[in-house]
Amino acid sequence: MPKLKANNIVRRFGGLIAVNDLSFEVEKGEILGIIGPNGAGKTTVINLMAGTLRVNEGTILFNDEDVTKKEAHIRNRLGIARTFQIVRPLENFSAIENIMVGALFGKGDKLEDARSTAQEICDFLNLKNVNKSVDELTVLELKKVELGRALASEPEVLFLDEIMAGLTSDETWELMDIVKELQKRDMAICVVEHIMKVVKELTHRVIVLNQGEIIAQGPYSKVSENKEVIAAYLGEE
Amino acid sequence: MKKNLFIVLLLIIAFTLPLYAGAYVMSVFNTILVFMALGLSWDMMLRTGQLSFGTAGFFGLGAYASVLIVTNMGFNPVVSLFVGAAFSGLIAFALGFIVLRLRQIYFAITTLALTHVFSVIIRNLSDLTGGASGTQLDTAIFGGNPTKLYYMILIIALFTILISEIFSRSRIHYAINSIRNDETTAKSSGIDVFKYLLFVFVVTSALQGLVGAAYAQQYAFVNPESTFSLNFLLLPLAMALVGGIYSTNGPIIGALILGLISEYLKLIMPYGHLVVYGIIIVVVVLFLPQGVYTPIKNKLLKSSIVGGDNNAQT
Repeated sequence: MPKLKANNIVRRFGGLIAVNDLSFEVEKGEILGIIGPNGAGKTTVINLMAGTLRVNEGTILFNDEDVTKKEAHIRNRLGIARTFQIVRPLENFSAIENIMVGALFGKGDKLEDARSTAQEICDFLNLKNVNKSVDELTVLELKKVELGRALASEPEVLFLDEIMAGLTSDETWELMDIVKELQKRDMAICVVEHIMKVVKELTHRVIVLNQGEIIAQGPYSKVSENKEVIAAYLGEE
Repeated sequence: MKKNLFIVLLLIIAFTLPLYAGAYVMSVFNTILVFMALGLSWDMMLRTGQLSFGTAGFFGLGAYASVLIVTNMGFNPVVSLFVGAAFSGLIAFALGFIVLRLRQIYFAITTLALTHVFSVIIRNLSDLTGGASGTQLDTAIFGGNPTKLYYMILIIALFTILISEIFSRSRIHYAINSIRNDETTAKSSGIDVFKYLLFVFVVTSALQGLVGAAYAQQYAFVNPESTFSLNFLLLPLAMALVGGIYSTNGPIIGALILGLISEYLKLIMPYGHLVVYGIIIVVVVLFLPQGVYTPIKNKLLKSSIVGGDNNAQT
């Protein structure tokens, strides 16, 4: 049984069809890559699955339960968490307090438990400086805070929206190891990523989006040789 | 420790004031405490990111509800205070489903409009409310005894402070600060944004209703113009801004500063005090946008924080 399943979902913005009749699923312990050129609808797919946006048509099933009409905070509590492409830390909180928010409301911790949950996550992410305010953090630390807040809700499905963007090579490897560890813990993970080395290294399977539709899917090695995919990325010859 | 001692000292002064202060001083502090409670309740809503201009409206609703059930139904005036609070809370609950869909300037302007709507409705229900000329009570609450009136308002102000502290020490603090910061992040982190907004809107409106009820009961009088006066919005707002928003201490300090200054200015230059009052607000907002409280707190804390860091390193 897939953890999360999208059935023929459609999302329009006025006349623009951002996501067109899209179906996909992700299993537990699987890392699914979602790739495609700019404007292909990758982030919109995350917004739809996490409940930040509503679908116009189609259904979304989480553990076979229909969550299409459930709001984002309900989906988060059920077990769907996400990070944002441009990190959105809560600026009047310290690093650990940001993560506590996920534990308090996503997981449902009591106030006294939330700090220890958050501290455990900081240790797991190797995030020091937990009491610094977020405007003093490095890019990597901000990404870890973003990821930490998502993890604190104890998700079964995790969406990572270009979490490696803007990191150095070493930092990218560090985060990749973290994502692999999460996969070993049986989490279902969807990564939207532009860095192909990350996609290649991390994912079991990818779906390639172009103009809101899937143009190819399968293991990265197969998909990367697909003519249509190359054309979408590089333009027609 | 030092902080606790300071709070205990302030409480002792507040509770023993009637022993050595005359009726005039008590009435000055009575007024300051009224605006302090209003300023604090306004600030509590602001902590969610919603700028409410409805303070005077819910103040007025509570005032009218309290006075009318005493005159028409013979309620005990003390009980009527709670009825005033409950009525304002109830109306806020019903209206919350509409106005809390709005954000920013749209929310602000709608809550301001509601204040006006409340007063127009009350003016036109003249059989019940006495219309434009208002309604009078036979006697003020506690027979108008200034000491008892002072204690009534003091207890209401302390109750408001207590609620504000509960807000900032519980999970509510994390919810409403997240909502103010980034609603999308808040939702994605499992926070039921609307539920928290509605909760805070109802609680703060009920507090404003409670203050309004107490205010009306001590003057034994309500009328649409004075009860829904924008003073009950603008003065508390100015006090919170001067003292410092998003905290319990800010509005308290702001109310004391502006309350005492305006009283003093009133004595030395009647009417001219409003000009000086305005200048103070402009200067503070320009040069201390965080209010008076935060810069002072940071200065005071600096030495102890540096000490703490050193300890951590060694």
